[in-house]
Amino acid sequence: MMRLALLIVGAPILAGGAVAQQQKIGDPPEASNMRLVGWNDLQGRSAYQPTIHRQGDRWIAYIGHHGGTDAVAAPINSLTGKAEPNGTSIVDVTDPANPRYLHHLPGQEGKYESGGAQMVRVCDGATLPKGDRRAVYMLRTFGSEAHEIWNVADPANPALVTRIAGLKDTHKSWWECDTGIAYLVSGVPDWRVRRMTQVYDLSDPAHPVKIRDFGLAGQQPGAVGAVPTELHGPISTGPGGNRVYFGYGTDKGGMLQIVDREKLLKGPAAPTDDNLRYPEVGRLLMSAWNGAHTTFPLPQMPIAEFAHDSEGAKRDIVMVVDEAIQNECREARQMVWFADVSIEARPMMISNWTVPEASGHFCQRGGRFGAHSSNESMDPIFYRKLAFIAFFNAGVRALDIRDPYHPMEIGYFIPAITDKTDKRCVRGGGQDRCRTAIQTNNVETDARGYVYIVDRANTGLHILELTGPARTVAGLK
Amino acid sequence: MLSRRTLLYAAFAAVFLIATAAFSAYVRWDVAHTPRQYDGWQRIAWPFPRDGWDEGQAWRGHGLELYVRPKLGFCGNCDTGVVEDSEVDRVTDIDLVDPLFVPLAPGQRIHVTDLVGRSRLYRLRSRGAAQLAEAIAVSYRCDLVVAIVVGNVADEKLRRTARRFLEADPVQDWINGQLGER
Repeated sequence: MMRLALLIVGAPILAGGAVAQQQKIGDPPEASNMRLVGWNDLQGRSAYQPTIHRQGDRWIAYIGHHGGTDAVAAPINSLTGKAEPNGTSIVDVTDPANPRYLHHLPGQEGKYESGGAQMVRVCDGATLPKGDRRAVYMLRTFGSEAHEIWNVADPANPALVTRIAGLKDTHKSWWECDTGIAYLVSGVPDWRVRRMTQVYDLSDPAHPVKIRDFGLAGQQPGAVGAVPTELHGPISTGPGGNRVYFGYGTDKGGMLQIVDREKLLKGPAAPTDDNLRYPEVGRLLMSAWNGAHTTFPLPQMPIAEFAHDSEGAKRDIVMVVDEAIQNECREARQMVWFADVSIEARPMMISNWTVPEASGHFCQRGGRFGAHSSNESMDPIFYRKLAFIAFFNAGVRALDIRDPYHPMEIGYFIPAITDKTDKRCVRGGGQDRCRTAIQTNNVETDARGYVYIVDRANTGLHILELTGPARTVAGLK
Repeated sequence: MLSRRTLLYAAFAAVFLIATAAFSAYVRWDVAHTPRQYDGWQRIAWPFPRDGWDEGQAWRGHGLELYVRPKLGFCGNCDTGVVEDSEVDRVTDIDLVDPLFVPLAPGQRIHVTDLVGRSRLYRLRSRGAAQLAEAIAVSYRCDLVVAIVVGNVADEKLRRTARRFLEADPVQDWINGQLGER
């Protein structure tokens, strides 16, 4: 009798979706065709970009961090016992099962997006045209105020080489190791946007040479009228591909801009409307609901379905990854898009992919749910075969992209939370309601086939490997 | 045949569900029926095309038009809020009112209730040489509240009238609801 009444009351509530699968400490990770190999807590620091670099017979992970949190503004560096504002973690991952934390290089004081040292790229001095052949150079942001280059030949003892300062913001830069050309995402005073591009020649890291400032026409100093969407970050294909793909918009009003690299580097540098338009060869406007966080080029993809067609059997593809910003789905879904840019003046979205929300009731788990970024390594081990997408509370997702017209998930890994995992709150009824969930923020791969994911909610670095059919797709034994 | 006790429990359950549904309907009705007139202001339809943000409120009164809406998560720096004029140019809806807007002068620090940010005056080129607007951007944590006042905003008295209305119940109740009843 009582049960019948409870059923009458309870059934609609359950049907309404109260069956949230919130993570709890002690729960195992959730995985399919991916396996945890090793873990490091990164001293409980909120993580952004990981870059994995081979130095001799060692493999070193450089991991950029956001600023601290309200609860812990400057976590303790366990190597020194001192409280340090979040900066760059340097971890020896030669043995991926036992990653060794080597050094923490402090960043700018500040919390969340306002401090830290989010971005990091690494080039060998022997590869850079004018670098010290014995050096290994780490380019990183220093909060919102500077870009820095450090010599990390001895990764446990970085030495500052140079600093490009006087900025009001920084973000997701790109550095061509074979030429030294860097596309620095900066906030330059007088520009009308928080973030634009400073193009530098960093072929001799000790002596940076500014080439030009770049952005969309209307963003430059002195322009009037509507301000075009601000930059998130570029990826260059270098002199070989002669293209730079710029992603604008992060989570709203997105745009993929295709730029002729030669014209960008050698064209007139003064930031006028005409000069800023000159290097552009195409652009793809996205919905006002989606932005472009990562624009990852996949040129000359053979499309099996088109193999017998007289034209277009190979397509130039750019994978565009949006960034989810709001907790608990309080925005339009941010996901992964594939653009066919073979005809550069008329790029076209051809497919998209998202984690099915119902597969984990992710909107109720807490924190952000949606895409954030992809791996950016172009090492042949995964390039143009598999892509790895950081999907916040849905962990990392492995996509088979061999047919970009029909991307397909072939694996995933959602790490377990720990006592260091930070809560994420939403506002309702005048109060904060907080939940704790994994927030996989960024992902990178190395040439050995390991996958490195880092957590925005302070859960650290997880080193993964593929298993089963996913391994076969990558051609791994 | 159900017993009397079962029927009683079922009745309680049904009353609970009906009450919940009624409360939910009332909340929706209340939102939909926010006063459409207040102190010389008349609520009008949001006139701008759909974009990445939810529609805002639009009002007309005292020779002015006022457009206001929150933009959740849009604050460039959650700690400092809106501190530069270029941010006012970029984050407000001044481009919807006139994509050819021209700033008239440097902006000013402003507060709307307890939210702090900046305001700036503009000339609206596409509406004729004399048309002016004031753009306002204030922040709460990482969320923005942006407003545009169109009309003779060179008149400080009229600007004050618009700001008083921004701080009045019809606008503030709605904004606080959007911001999670901060």
